[in-house]
Amino acid sequence: MTITALIAEDEPILAATLAATLGRLWPELKIVAMCPHGQAALEQALALQPEVLFLDIKMPGKTGLEAAEELADEWSGPRPFPQVVFVTAYDEYAVRAFDNAAADYVLKPVSDERLARTVERLKARLKTEPARPDGGALETLMEQLRALTPAAPAPAARPERLTLIRAAVGNQVRMIPVTDVVYFEALDKYVNVVTSDGEALIRTSLKELLPQLDERVFWQVHRGTIVNSGCVLAATRDDAGKLTLTLRHRPEKVRVSPLYAHLFRQM
Amino acid sequence: MPLSDSPVLADATIPSARSRFPWRRLGKDAFPLVGLVILCALIVTYAFGDGSDFLASLVISACIGTISFCIIDGVRLAVWGESRRPHWLAFGAVIAVGVPAGQIFGARLAGLLLGMELKQLHTLGTTRTSGMLLFTLLATGGVTLYFAGRDRLARAEAAAAQERARAEAVERQALQAQLQLLQAQIEPHMLFNTLANLQGLIAIDPPRAQRMLDQLIQFLRGTLSSSRSQATPLAQEFTLLDAYLGLMAVRMGERLSYSFDLPEPLRTVRIPPMLLQPLVENAIAHGLEPTIAGGHVGIAARREGDLLLLTVTDNGRGPDAGPGKEGTSVGLSNTRERLKALFGERSGVTLDAAPGGGAIARVTLPMPDKHE
Repeated sequence: MTITALIAEDEPILAATLAATLGRLWPELKIVAMCPHGQAALEQALALQPEVLFLDIKMPGKTGLEAAEELADEWSGPRPFPQVVFVTAYDEYAVRAFDNAAADYVLKPVSDERLARTVERLKARLKTEPARPDGGALETLMEQLRALTPAAPAPAARPERLTLIRAAVGNQVRMIPVTDVVYFEALDKYVNVVTSDGEALIRTSLKELLPQLDERVFWQVHRGTIVNSGCVLAATRDDAGKLTLTLRHRPEKVRVSPLYAHLFRQM
Repeated sequence: MPLSDSPVLADATIPSARSRFPWRRLGKDAFPLVGLVILCALIVTYAFGDGSDFLASLVISACIGTISFCIIDGVRLAVWGESRRPHWLAFGAVIAVGVPAGQIFGARLAGLLLGMELKQLHTLGTTRTSGMLLFTLLATGGVTLYFAGRDRLARAEAAAAQERARAEAVERQALQAQLQLLQAQIEPHMLFNTLANLQGLIAIDPPRAQRMLDQLIQFLRGTLSSSRSQATPLAQEFTLLDAYLGLMAVRMGERLSYSFDLPEPLRTVRIPPMLLQPLVENAIAHGLEPTIAGGHVGIAARREGDLLLLTVTDNGRGPDAGPGKEGTSVGLSNTRERLKALFGERSGVTLDAAPGGGAIARVTLPMPDKHE
């Protein structure tokens, strides 16, 4: 029985080599797409729904980690979420204990022996996975992403806590106490600051904003959203397993990425 | 308004290490004093006196000497510290006070110890006292001269040691710069990536693997030998960059193209080795690699009067796009520092937006006088 796989790697020789090595080690595996960057990998994975993804982390445009996270957001079946193996160059990310924990992280140059172990583990997973409740592969991927996403900076290296947001609205600068913010939403090069009685744009990125906020109050729930946990009324899971938040003081619903779904598990 | 804890107060109660009195030094200075006290006692007993009562003379000499010494050396160390040289006039005044005081109080103290009245020693105005005072003054002057000479020697030695340390530091910095240069040139990341490509090519395209290996050898040999030399001809620099870009082109495939423009008369002009390498690395890492389409890097050399102009131009994201990868942007500032150290203000490095999009790094340096 054939298994389908996608390879995302920006260096053509490395992509060809990985395909050739996999062909030797796992003849039943069929490579259905070779993608030179993260965006292509995301599109092809959604279109072809392969069972295994080999993602290079460092790629132009979109990294392998970003592509995987967005894929988790947008995946809607019908097939189960694919098994993801990250491929990365020497020291690009701290390997930590990750290397022992999973077959989902291989270092370039990839040795046959190491890849053979990954193949064995993938075969085993693909066999048992369908029997597991939904989200087995997705759960594994989320663990990987959490391990690979750089942790928050140490308190010493932190920028000042933000207490007041100065946002330009027309020809005036509005002063918004951080405690009044219901949620922050990334909009291209800006961040939209949403309060119970209005909105204002500030020229920054969520990435820069996050370390300046009190992490006990403000939670990142999506790539593009940070929400004031005190303004969350309820988290609702729909039929497809997607989480959305209902807010106090605001009519909008906020989507939760699978990566942050664990924040809303019941006690 | 409540007063906050004043840091000034806290500072005042803790004497800083620098202003502490150098007791250890005072103790060291006291060693020659012992010899001098014995010498003075001998002179007083056998040259001025009849050879009797050496012990009494010793006690008197010790008391006078110690008090004089404590006043003079104590004031010197307290006011000028160990390393600074006292002003001769001020120091003379200290001696002028210290000697009579030592004479009077020392004699009284000795009298108490010996159980007799030494009037002629501590009552000013008698001939005997004046004579003894002169004697103490001479002794003190001698010892002062001795100390001054010794301190001058110590100061000269300290200055020499400082000079040596400075020379050593300069040398160490030069060595460190060389090492850093080496490390920068052969970035492990680049090496591992190249090896990964080589490993792949061996399996799928052996002739190409052979060519890539040749380029890697050329690159390694060039970087390792050039970082040890003072200057390399431009032609050799360009060959090295060709090898580097060749390796990068294997990795990036269609996404990287490059070109060189080196006029014939400039081929033999010598420049500091590996000057352009970090700028070319920047053009790729920050300009081209982050873009999906990749692009072109052009390297050129031009003579402008008595200046040499070297440019690295790319058509990537441009200088305002921010760094393309994690890591500090040391390439540009390092190059600037290097040139400044070698050529001073007549050299410079700038990074601007290129007319056709992307970035252009310009290196300007004085045209070397002779070609070798």
